Parts: sequence; C-alpha cells; structure tokens
Amino acid sequence: MADELYLENIDEFVTDQNRVVTYKWLSYTLGVHVNQAKQMLYDYVERKRKENSGAQLHVTYLVAGNLLQNGHVCHKVAVVREDKLGAMKSKLSTIASVHVYSIQKALLKDSSPLYNTDYDIVKTNLQHCSKFSAIRCAAAVPRTPPDPPRAPASAQSPQRQRDPDAAGAVNGHGPPAAKPPPQQPRGIMGMFAAKAAAKPQDTHKEAKAEAKEAPGVSAASSKPPTKNNIMNNFFGKAAMNKLKVSSVPEQPKEEKEVVKPSVAVAEPESSPNAVAEKPGKKTESARNQQKDKKSKTKRADRSDDEEERDLENVKKKRKRIKQLQSDSSDEEADVPPSPTPEEETAPSPPPVPALKTELEPTSTEGSAGGRKRKRKRVLKSKMFIDEEEGCMGKTGCALHSPELTLLT
Amino acid sequence: MFSEQAAPTAQGLLSPPSAKPPTFPRVPVSGYSDCSQPFQLGERSFSRQYAHIYAVRLAGMRPGLEQRARSRWGNDIALRKLSELQAGEKCCVVGTLFKDMQLQPSILQEISEEHNLVPQPPLPKYIQPSDELILEDELQRIKLEGAIDVQKLVTGTILAVYGSEQDDGKFLVEDHCFAGLPPPLPWTGPSSDRFVLLASGLGLGSVSGEALLSTQLLVDMVTGQLGAEGEQSCAAHITRVILAGNLLSQNTQSRDTLNKAKYLTKKTQAASVEAVKMLDEILLQLCTSVPVDVMPGEFDPTNYTLPQQPLHRCMLPLASAYATLRLVTNPYQANLDGVRFLGTSGQNISDIFKYSSMDDYLEILEWTLLAGHISPTAPDTLGCYPFYKSDPFILTECPHVYFCGNAPHFQSKLLQGKEGQQVLLVTVPDFSATQTACLVNLHDLTCQPITFSSFGADSED
Repeated sequence: MADELYLENIDEFVTDQNRVVTYKWLSYTLGVHVNQAKQMLYDYVERKRKENSGAQLHVTYLVAGNLLQNGHVCHKVAVVREDKLGAMKSKLSTIASVHVYSIQKALLKDSSPLYNTDYDIVKTNLQHCSKFSAIRCAAAVPRTPPDPPRAPASAQSPQRQRDPDAAGAVNGHGPPAAKPPPQQPRGIMGMFAAKAAAKPQDTHKEAKAEAKEAPGVSAASSKPPTKNNIMNNFFGKAAMNKLKVSSVPEQPKEEKEVVKPSVAVAEPESSPNAVAEKPGKKTESARNQQKDKKSKTKRADRSDDEEERDLENVKKKRKRIKQLQSDSSDEEADVPPSPTPEEETAPSPPPVPALKTELEPTSTEGSAGGRKRKRKRVLKSKMFIDEEEGCMGKTGCALHSPELTLLT
Repeated sequence: MFSEQAAPTAQGLLSPPSAKPPTFPRVPVSGYSDCSQPFQLGERSFSRQYAHIYAVRLAGMRPGLEQRARSRWGNDIALRKLSELQAGEKCCVVGTLFKDMQLQPSILQEISEEHNLVPQPPLPKYIQPSDELILEDELQRIKLEGAIDVQKLVTGTILAVYGSEQDDGKFLVEDHCFAGLPPPLPWTGPSSDRFVLLASGLGLGSVSGEALLSTQLLVDMVTGQLGAEGEQSCAAHITRVILAGNLLSQNTQSRDTLNKAKYLTKKTQAASVEAVKMLDEILLQLCTSVPVDVMPGEFDPTNYTLPQQPLHRCMLPLASAYATLRLVTNPYQANLDGVRFLGTSGQNISDIFKYSSMDDYLEILEWTLLAGHISPTAPDTLGCYPFYKSDPFILTECPHVYFCGNAPHFQSKLLQGKEGQQVLLVTVPDFSATQTACLVNLHDLTCQPITFSSFGADSED
C-alpha cells in the first residue's frame, strides 16, 4: 500500500542509513507537505514502539507556547528531547503546538546534527524551498528577467507618450538585443524620418514636444539591461556607422546636415536644413539636459539612444573641433556643458532665431546649473567669513564654528 | 497572541497522516510605502565641514522649540539669542547642547606627541562627575548650571532653557524643555490582526554555532514549516519581516590583513564572504514566503556613517531575484498597512548610552523621541554624513512604531502623547545573544517577544 511505503522508507533511513531524519528532510525527500511529514514521523514512532518496545529510537519534539518570562508573556518555541518534553510542556501556560521534530537512532548531545541535516537538504533544494511549506505567498515571484519582456514593454510605453505618427520610429529606440539589427537603423533613420515628416508642420512646439519626449523616450528605454548595451557596443560605432551608411542613403545627408549646425545655419538651404538641425539640436540639448541630470554614468548604463547620439556626436565632435566647439557628450566634467550651449548659440547667427530661443532655456539651465555649482563653492567661503566675524567676545563655539568643529 | 488561537489544534500533528493538509495563503501586502527618501544619499561629497549640520539642525528645530517654550513658560517670555543676553534678565534661550567630557576620546589628544598618551581603551561609559554642559547657538556659547541634569544629556541636543545670566558669565537654568513629541499621524491601521516580525543581530559568520539552529527555527516558523496547523495559520498573518541590522557578526570584522604579513593573508578570504553567502541562503528562504526589509547595521558591509545606505543587491544574488526582498537604509521609515514604522539598527541608542547616565535602552529610545531627534550625538561621537541643507534625523512626524535594533534585551512600551500620539517603543534584542525576536501586532499596537531554543550539551531545563 502506498500509505505504508513511507513507513518502510523511514525505517530504512533511520535504522539502515543511520540518519537523523527531521520532518523537513523527510518532506523534501519524499516530496510531501511538511505537516504530512510530521504526522508520518509520529506514526512511525508509534508503530515501531508498539511492535518492538525495545526499539532504539530517539525522538525530538517541537513545543511552542506561551511562557511568562521577565514579566511579559513570551512565545517560546523549543526543540526538546523526548525526556524533557513533559517538563517543557508543564512550563508553558498555553501550548500552541507539539509535533515530532526528528527521529534518529542515537541520542543527540546537542542540536547541531539537526541543524546540519536541515541545512544540507535546504541547500540542495534552494530553488523551491517553500514548495512543501504550509504558507504560500502570492507576492513572492522572482523578478522577471529583463530581456524578453523588454521589447513589447518598451514599445508600449513610448507609444503611450509619443504622438501616434512617430510611434513606429520609437519602436526602434527600444533596444532589445534579440531583435535583429535592421530594427536599429530603422529606428535611427526612423527618428530622422519622423522629424523629416515633421518638417512640413515646422512649428517650434512640435520640435519642442519631440525634444521633451526624447528624454522621456530615452528615460523609458534607459532602463535597458547591460546585456543589450553590450550587444550594441559589440555592434560598435563602426558597425553602426556601416549600418547607417549602407541602409539609408538619405540618412548620411541628413546627418551631415545635422552635423553642420553653425555653418549651415546661415545658408538658405533653408527649412529642410534648419528643421533637420532643429531636431538634431533638440536631441542634443535634450541630451545635455539628460547628462546634467545624470551623474557619472558608466558606459554600460547608457541607453541605446545615447549610443546613437554618441555616434552623431563623434561625427559632430570632429566637425566641432574644427570650429572650436567642444561637444560635451562624453565628458563628465561639470563645467563644460554650460559653456557649450552658449558657444553654440554664439556662432549661429540670427537667421535661426527659433533655434536660439529654444536653446536658450536649455543653455541657461545648463549654465545656471554650472553657475549654481560655482556659486555653491563661493558661498561656502563667504559663510566662513561671516562666522569668523561673528565670533567675538565669548570663546569660539565648538559646534557651530567650522574651524573648531573636529571632523569626526 | 499566537498561542491562544493555535491552542485548539496544538496536538493535531501527533497522529497518523491525514487527508491533504491545508495550505494557508500569506496575507497580502496592502499599503506599503517606503518613506526613507531623506536617508538615501545620492552623490556624496565629504568636502564640507560638519558645522553646517548643527546650523541646519538648530534652524530646523528652533521654531518648534520657541512654540513649546511659549506654551510652557508663558506667551510673554523673552526669547533671546546668546548675543542679546543681559545679566540678570529672565529669558529663554534656544540652542545646541555641548557636553564637555574629559574622558571623551579625542583624536587630537591621541596623536599629540607632547602628551605621550597611550590611546585609552574603549570604555562602556565616558561620563564623569566633572562633565560640564555648554549651550551654543550660531555665534556664541555659554556654560549652563542649575536645574539641568548634566549627566543625562548629550551633545547635539537642541533645547530651550529658561533662566538668567549670572555675573560670572554662566547661565543659571531654572527650567528647560525639549521639542517634545512630534505632531501625530492619522491612524489607518488594519482592521484585523496583522503581524510584523522584527529581528536584529542575526550575527552570521560568528565562530559559535549555537544560534544557528535558532535562526533556522525562526525562518521555519515564519515560512510556515514549523508548528502545528494553528500556529502555521497564525504565522500566515505575518505580513513582513524587518531585519534591523547586524546580520553579520562582529567576528567578520577582524582585519588580519592589516596586522599580518601579506604572505600569510594572501589566500585567506574575508570572513564576511562566507557569512554573506549564508545570509543570502537564509534570505532566500524567507523571501520565497514573506516580504523582507533588510537594514544594514554596524558590522554589515556598507558605509559606516549614518545614514547607512542599503546593502548592495549584488551580494545577495539568490535572494534579490525575488521582489519581496527590499534592501533599505538605516534609519528606516515606512508605512506598513497604514502604520508608520521608524527605526534604526541601534547605533544611535548605543552611542547615547556611552555618553549619558541613562542605562536603559528603552529609556534612551523614549528620550530621543521626546528630544525630537533620532541621533543627537551625530556627528560628534557617531559618524554621520555632512549634511548642509537639512538634517534628516529631526523627527517631524510621530511614528506609530519606533524601534531600535541590537538592544541587550527585549523591552516595549506604549507611549501616549498629549496631542493624541500613540507610539509603540520597541527595543529589538540581539538575536545571536538572546535568540529572541519581536512580533508586533499592527491592529492593536502590541508587541510580543518570541524566543527560540534548542537543547545544548548542558540543557538547563
């Protein structure tokens, strides 16, 4: 009978293999609920003792209940040997539970074999350690691994944010490594295509909205896991360049247009250029904003957007250096970002007032940030001077005076 | 609270196997929100002096203290700054306390060559009868004497003193008052029994293995493997486990690498590596069954200064795969099922213990609540981050449960305030020493200790 099988199993474990059989060990080994394991052990002890009163069995029990200790009622949970069971039960005012904890052949001197048995069996079953427990927790689910759900998730979230017309482009921004490369160029060129599509509309607001959404998009897709970024790193700038160049003929032209900001600005190549630059600048200023927000970002943490933008920046950088403009995309110093927007606005002559006005908020923000930082340093020294002047008459304060405060 | 409900089915498992045993669902988490943003430091810069903390602390607590002073000593009392004091005039001054202690360890004295001092060994208490109290505000300081308990108070407390300046330049105190209990929070606790288990000082990695089985029993009880059906169904009402610090033992802190020669210590692993692996396994067992909040403590691998930042999840790869694991700061503040918890891993209380005559951890805990500041001795004797914008340790709202970890033994008290505040003060004992954890019932703000024991070579039943 299946019911009796466990008795034989326990018999084998205890007498033949000379193991310490705890309820937990039995539950994992036989694959049963812990309570059933406890009852099985009890059953085994009872039967064995009935048939053979001289059985070499030592049992430990778990007793739990209320105990009056030090003036308050304490809940005591104890593992006791069989001979001390009665004494412990009488000490407790209320008994909450009693059950068999373990069975073994030899008399245990201390509880370390019990601990070791449980430790070993749990170690081998770490992945489902609550499988046979009496409590199920619905909230205890492993966190979903980042890769597979990323694509639909990122596709959905930017879609919610963006205008419907640019939705397709955003998909490419979501950077699943699993998705084949063609998506990325589609994304990159999609970005430009979307902005080119925005050309005819040609309003500040649209460009601005896109710029705002760009950080939103990049924020949404800046959660991508390291893996994806490594994959993209693998594609590398050279590979990305190749992809970009080979796949879309239109794209290099647009990039070049974007790349020549100040010089091209004056030319009446006009609205396509200007608008193409605007989005380019938008993404740049948005990127600057983003950079200002982010503190030391490590390479692995950068989103795909940044990778793409870095590509553009690299290209722009080369051009910029010729024109004495430093793009601060890769620098993490605090001060340079603030002058660069200013520098950008300076050479770009008035023909692009739209560009300038849009850049100003970001540049003032960037420079205000830079100024703010500088201001902080200056303020500190001013405070010192004030306090020094203030401390007169009585001896200097130990806590409030900076010089005398010991740096603990 | 467990036992009464569990008693009827206590002996149920002393029987042959019955039909399919019941499985109890864990009570779901309702209304958890983490309020420890003030304790989370982003970018840290240590290039500032610590004087700014005292400045913002005084500025932050001054309005509340002035209001308390007025309500206590009359609306028409004169509130003066130290620079405006006139001899003989009865007035009230708000300032920061500084306790001048001879025995206070001073790094300057230690390294001073002219004294040729051997650094003094750490003492349990550094107080002496000759200690003096000095009140400081932004610009000046003045010695205090009179109706003020010098031994009890510690440096860094903001208080209001009422008295007058004497001719000898000291301030004679007639009365003093602290900020008092902060304003109460509305009570939105659960309508039925919900428990939170507080444990601290697991002390993994220690040489002795006695507490290991007790730790295993604790985990088994919370995850519902231990006990009869009644107890298991009660354990299913535990909504959260908070581990308040010192998950690793002090033994893992030994730095042989500093003292011994390199060839001896090259291949040895730090003791904390093994301990953290053990911790990971224990946390994994807990996380598969109950939400866990892990606070770092004095001996845990995180920064030393308060506020301690959460342990990094890369140290706990198995357990951090589960969303139920939350690595939180020390101090920790959160809303659990509508009940506001605030607590530390005990460094603030033990530091005040060293520099004050107060001996009882519960008394010190209550005193910090009445003084309106979690850790007044930081940064003087307890390491602290140099805040300059605001002091996050100032208590602005009165929590419902205020705990400290790693206390010598379990104590709890329900404090009632004048404005309707109700605070459950709990000192969570060190588990590795006492094998005791605390169970807080969110429904009626009561607390019960749970002790685990096993039999040793010398069972003293």
